[in-house]
Amino acid sequence: MKFGYTSWLPETDLMVKFTEALKEGKLIGTKCRKCGEKYLPPRVHCKCGSHEVEWYETPTRGKLFSYTLITFPPDSMARYAPYIVAIAELEDGSRLLAQITGVSPKTLHVGLPVQVVPHQISEDRIVYKFKPEQPIS
Amino acid sequence: MECSCLTEKIGVVGIGHAKFGKRTDATIRELAHEAVKPALEDAGITTADIDASVIGVAGDVFAAQGSPGALIHDYVGMGNKPMFRVEAACATGSAGVRTAWSLIKAGLAGVVIVIGAETMTHSGTPMATEWMARAGDTRWEYPFGITFPSFYALMATRHMHEFGTTRMQLSMVSVKSHKYGTMNPYAHLQKEVTLEEAMKSVPICQPLNLYDCCLISDGAAAAILANEEKAKKITDTPIWITGLGSASDTMMISERPSLTSLTASKLAAERAYEMAGVTPNDIDVACTHDCFSIAEIMSYEDLGFCKKGDGGKFIEEGQSHIGGRVPINVDGGLKSKGHPLGATGVSMTVEITRQLRGEAWKRQVSDAEIGLTHNVGETGQYCFVHIYMR
Repeated sequence: MKFGYTSWLPETDLMVKFTEALKEGKLIGTKCRKCGEKYLPPRVHCKCGSHEVEWYETPTRGKLFSYTLITFPPDSMARYAPYIVAIAELEDGSRLLAQITGVSPKTLHVGLPVQVVPHQISEDRIVYKFKPEQPIS
Repeated sequence: MECSCLTEKIGVVGIGHAKFGKRTDATIRELAHEAVKPALEDAGITTADIDASVIGVAGDVFAAQGSPGALIHDYVGMGNKPMFRVEAACATGSAGVRTAWSLIKAGLAGVVIVIGAETMTHSGTPMATEWMARAGDTRWEYPFGITFPSFYALMATRHMHEFGTTRMQLSMVSVKSHKYGTMNPYAHLQKEVTLEEAMKSVPICQPLNLYDCCLISDGAAAAILANEEKAKKITDTPIWITGLGSASDTMMISERPSLTSLTASKLAAERAYEMAGVTPNDIDVACTHDCFSIAEIMSYEDLGFCKKGDGGKFIEEGQSHIGGRVPINVDGGLKSKGHPLGATGVSMTVEITRQLRGEAWKRQVSDAEIGLTHNVGETGQYCFVHIYMR
């Protein structure tokens, strides 16, 4: 299973573990056993230099922090355009970047309650996205 | 090569600038020559008088050439002299100036030429857009379809939310750039735009539209730096680089505490002001990094020209125009002059040198004595601030 709409990086052990959890609707990050720093998205190594990291389950609810409606995409993303890329602040204060669906540009606003959910793009590709906590008409 | 003592000043003694634009009439090495030749003539020296080169080219992909530094160094006649090629994304040119300054300060060279060059139109806009997008984290940002302008759009949305910055204020930056671009014969665009045109142009990544975004351009610029002794021999009007600051930031913008400020800009500016012994109030003219309208507004705040959140008001009041508190990007800026990545930082050095010498034609800021350049790479992963004095 590959991660994202478009990518060419190898699906390393980190990504295999991450996407397997994502398929089950879980969002997982890594936490450093030495300094306690948490990372979402996850990392193999901590910025403190330690490679002793463990997985933890992160919140999947949060609020929209910022967003942009992309109408001029790179060629590799043209078939998905237009789309909205956003940053959400999750309940534990960490921030995550992803596309948001289920909203119109007019109903978008900073502070909108959102959930992080898995999104199967194709048979071999998965990604996480935001969707509004309450459906917006 | 004599060792320059630690207290010795380092100055700009020669400048040259190629015409920025869609330059399908020249390849990258020919554009570099177009900047190097006038720089040598300006200094009244030849390559024989130069000890080393520092060459800034951001993307081998844009030039479709591996080791573009070697290509340029050889073409402009630097022969067997030492050469550095530097890369710092959009701040490549300023990384070059800082490297040249350091080489001279270390005593490894007395006179160094910095050449910044980039050809971005040769590979086509889709190719340029694709590679600019890959400047984001290719594991956790690029796979979501983010484009380079989108990073700044995320900052703009947030700036508008936190401080009430308006669509009109963003467009006022563009109107100013275009106005001054017409006064710079080397600028890519030579045409004014109205506020209405700027506000209603094609959306790229809302809230940013076409006129909020800098151009994709080809171009080159060159600056010759020398130690105090040589500078005084070469010219009567050396422009001294008295303060240098540099800083960086996280690769992923979602990891940053704020989206309305570039921490690297603030840190680099603090260091440069401290080293030069000046404050933001002392700056008479500046070139700041306006890759997008919101970037120029944030630069006013991060460099201390106005309070945090007042950037929109600063442009609306005309404070960054000639006659305002501090004229900014009166060479047309990245928006109108163009932003050939490797050339940009060197072009900023060229402009401030012109301004402090009193040679900036119609766009001259009267009695400018202290100038500043601020060059950001990517979204603040690189930042260089330099302060210049007559």
